[in-house]
Amino acid sequence: MTHALTDAWRHRVFYLFALPFAALTIVFGLWPIVLSVQVSMTQSATALRPDPVWVGFANYARVLADPLFVASLGRTLLYTVLAVAANLAFALAFATLLDSTVLRRFNMVFRLAVFLPVVTPDVAGFVVWRWLYDRSFGAVNAALAAVGVPPFGGIASPDTVMWAILVAEMWNHSGFYIVIFLANLAIRDKALEEAAAIDGASAWQRWRHVILPQLRPALVINGVYALIQFLKTFTVVVVMTKGGPSGSTNFVSYYAYQMFDQGRYGEATAMATILFAVVIVISVTAYRLGERGDHR
Amino acid sequence: MIRPVRLVWTVLAYATATLVSLIFLYPYWWMLIGAFRRTRDVLTDPLVLWPEQIEFSVFASIARVGGVELWRYAANSLAITVASTLLGVMVTALGAYALVRRPTLPGFGLLRGGFLLTIMYPYMLLVIPVYIVMYKLGLLGSYLGIVLFLALGPLQFFLFEQFFRSIPKEVIEAAIIDGASEWNVLTRVVMPMAKPVVATVALITFLLNWAQWFPILVISATPDTYTLPVALLSLNSELGSNFQGIMALAAITTLPPAILFVFAQKRVMEGMASGAVKG
Repeated sequence: MTHALTDAWRHRVFYLFALPFAALTIVFGLWPIVLSVQVSMTQSATALRPDPVWVGFANYARVLADPLFVASLGRTLLYTVLAVAANLAFALAFATLLDSTVLRRFNMVFRLAVFLPVVTPDVAGFVVWRWLYDRSFGAVNAALAAVGVPPFGGIASPDTVMWAILVAEMWNHSGFYIVIFLANLAIRDKALEEAAAIDGASAWQRWRHVILPQLRPALVINGVYALIQFLKTFTVVVVMTKGGPSGSTNFVSYYAYQMFDQGRYGEATAMATILFAVVIVISVTAYRLGERGDHR
Repeated sequence: MIRPVRLVWTVLAYATATLVSLIFLYPYWWMLIGAFRRTRDVLTDPLVLWPEQIEFSVFASIARVGGVELWRYAANSLAITVASTLLGVMVTALGAYALVRRPTLPGFGLLRGGFLLTIMYPYMLLVIPVYIVMYKLGLLGSYLGIVLFLALGPLQFFLFEQFFRSIPKEVIEAAIIDGASEWNVLTRVVMPMAKPVVATVALITFLLNWAQWFPILVISATPDTYTLPVALLSLNSELGSNFQGIMALAAITTLPPAILFVFAQKRVMEGMASGAVKG
């Protein structure tokens, strides 16, 4: 103990270096999380008072008994599965294409095009997509009509809205996943492919059995990132659908935000804590599965 | 001589890559010409690739949004982004440096774990209790509250951590044997080496914080502290939508980071990829 203290005193300058970082982490990171858990156990109307009324897990019970919340959680999980699969499949395919020796020229231009939406303010991107889908202003239905395809319901119909925001989010996020795959493809062992080619493996066999196994690190990183990303889908809903039509995009984070907006802090933070638990469980499981496969 | 099969593949690959790229870029073009076309023309033909006439009247219609002048949103965006980037780079660099140099000091392991927990927490759900924190600290509606909250980010921390870990121990030990204090080691040895990573982190932080909207909306008490994305969101939600105005404001919000990215694309893409991989 005394040793640790003298050690700490000897290196006190490092505490000085870390102090601002620690202060911001505690005040704007850890304190809000503690508050969130604390508020989730108090009565909403009294949550912000110095002497809130404690209700234990009543907010959690109410939230879990709320059919709208259960439906919202189901929608969130469904959307997450669809969005993760679509984004990773597209990103993997496009990264493979960009990595091929065939596409030497303009390669940087193609990368730039797919990555630009990643650094575009998401509000601006989704505002544009909202209007692209518009029945009278939008280019999407005008283009479909021009080639003789029946109109797409877009964000106006409960049947198509999930696909519509999925496409907009793919536009927004997939560039990031593509760049991660490309970084992984660049460091793979190309000698293995040459050996496989000499052994008579077809291009598909080489991709499937030689390249794909080497992309496991990127698949794990992208998989975990995408899971976290889409479980907390929020901005696209605020900008494009406001949870509608008829609740079909009322994902958990948006539902929690609505509660917060109505001053129902107890329910809002209870939902936040539940979603946090879901995110942790799912992402840790995904990570473990990815890691375990590594030691085959 | 190129074999015909290979030629077919080359053509197909270029056709696919070009088509995908055009689909990704089309919304930008549609937004830009939408800002200059009259609403009437857009309704008649949403697909044209060149505006019938360049109309600047739209900028008069968005000179004020939600009772605040447009230039103020732009100034807020610039001020908040620059301030939070500078603060974030300094605080994160120092913090990551201390944690990498002396990971076993009492409390440092806890600090790193606490930071990791914070970034695992779904961001928009963290913002809700941040409202309560700001309320308790009396920072609701202040620029200071917004800047302080935007300063920290996971990508920035991982990039710095990764860089400081890559510095050979011998370099620092040599300086200490020569009698340099820790402060001198930092300012004379480490900081000159860190210039490229500082530039990368500053660039990425700028791009990420320029795009921020939710914490700013939550911490703001009035539109006076809104940035361009928040103003765009409120214009988009207003009834009786001004399509042309929305496209113009979206273009104004998008252009600064887009231009910055085009000039620094390699650094941004590599930085974001390696920050994510190490995290």
